[in-house]
Amino acid sequence: MLNFSKEQTRFEIAGLKIGGQPGELPRVLFGTVFYRKQFSDVDASAIKRVQELVSAQEEMTGITGVPAVVDIFIDDEDDLATRIDTVADMVSGPISVDIPDPDLKVKVLEHLDAGGLLERTIYNSINLGLTPEELDALLEHTPASAIVLAFNPKDMSTDGKIDILETGAGFTEKGLMEIASDCGIKAQLLDTAATPFEHMAAEPIRSIPVMKNRWGLPTGCAIHNTVESWLWMKDNRKEYKEQYTINDIGSLGLPAIMGADYLVYGPIDNAPRAFPFIAMVDKFLAEGASDYFGISQDDDHPRGLMP
Amino acid sequence: MYEWYPWGGEFRVGDPSSSVAVVTLGDKVQLPEEKVAIWGPLKTENLGIEKVVANVVSNPNIRTLVVCGREVRGHRSGDSLLAFHRYGVDANGRIIEARGAVPYIENLPEEAVERFRDQVEIMDLIGEVDPAVIETVIDERLVLGLPSFGEPLIVVKIERERSAAVFEGAIALHSEIMLHDDLRIVGVASGSDAEASSGGDA
Repeated sequence: MLNFSKEQTRFEIAGLKIGGQPGELPRVLFGTVFYRKQFSDVDASAIKRVQELVSAQEEMTGITGVPAVVDIFIDDEDDLATRIDTVADMVSGPISVDIPDPDLKVKVLEHLDAGGLLERTIYNSINLGLTPEELDALLEHTPASAIVLAFNPKDMSTDGKIDILETGAGFTEKGLMEIASDCGIKAQLLDTAATPFEHMAAEPIRSIPVMKNRWGLPTGCAIHNTVESWLWMKDNRKEYKEQYTINDIGSLGLPAIMGADYLVYGPIDNAPRAFPFIAMVDKFLAEGASDYFGISQDDDHPRGLMP
Repeated sequence: MYEWYPWGGEFRVGDPSSSVAVVTLGDKVQLPEEKVAIWGPLKTENLGIEKVVANVVSNPNIRTLVVCGREVRGHRSGDSLLAFHRYGVDANGRIIEARGAVPYIENLPEEAVERFRDQVEIMDLIGEVDPAVIETVIDERLVLGLPSFGEPLIVVKIERERSAAVFEGAIALHSEIMLHDDLRIVGVASGSDAEASSGGDA
């Protein structure tokens, strides 16, 4: 429905195409593995379960044409190699490494480099918690792509998010985008940083077109986190299980309709629900772009695959 | 909304006259309502800690904060809360010595930070999920009979100035961009393209 006068950059990361004008390419969905408590012990059964879930996500891509990335949650040094290698062996495209712990980030980058995986890596994420050790590691073991997170606890408005990306907002010496460029990261994916309700929860959605208009880079977010942290929904989640799922998946449509190029949709278990939903949104976006702005799509777009 | 705890959050309320509050980090733990003023999880090392602080200082009867349950990996919200209480924050709002991913406190006035650090003593039970063990510590603190800290402190969030974008004859989205009525996005203040070239058959 939207169209930007600013030129929109498209990246190709290990065969994955991302970015461009809304309706041009399908949205890319990131499904996370090893996140829930069922994976606190990464044993043989957990690996088998992850393999099943990754296969199910791949299958959904085949059916819908919506591209997938496996986002590998890593919170334990002991099994980081197992987590990464399990997924890297299964998929041919990019892998995303999601590492909240600053100390672990360095070890993950070292492992990715040793395994020759940096050209397939989407580093999730460069954010204001950047440490000198992490920066050194990024310079030495530079991934092909990184998510650059616009979380600014001082100001969660769209302007505050732009500020942290552009100047560092006083938290870092330079803007996070410049830091990523200095590290040699070629494909920057901007993340508008979802926040809970009553913490400017709509701003990550507003920020999507604002950032795409400003920089023309692929932009997205993990808006499902807002639903997950919604207190009323938490209190009533057991009673309204189906409604929770509808809200969780439905939230993905909000940034998508505003032009998001990628969406982190949470646990990969939700692939059978998230992919057909986003395929439908992609069909709307594609027809809107085509009928009014003359933008066409490739044959493997959901519009062609799911007539 | 409760009389106490104006910032809301994911918590349960017991006896507001109790001197003990409990943070259960990444776990849900069932605790005796008659012994605990307020308890609940703490997932994040920034917004979550801000809520704990604002809610605790609203009830001056709370003099002990038990921190238990398993640490939220990566976020290390428990470690960050302990560091916040022990060292406070630096000039940039960063919790000193915290090892969490993004340990920044930005929405609390300094008065609230200092009040929290003075009002409560923290019992570090990080990793403990056994209700019996936690209750034993609660009992040990209750028998001390610590007095109220005084008046409640109701913390008002730091509000920042906002300016709304106003566009004549266009759809407003942000001060930097406007939408033409055909939903083409056109840059305004950022200096990106001043006027859209017509796209396709528009």
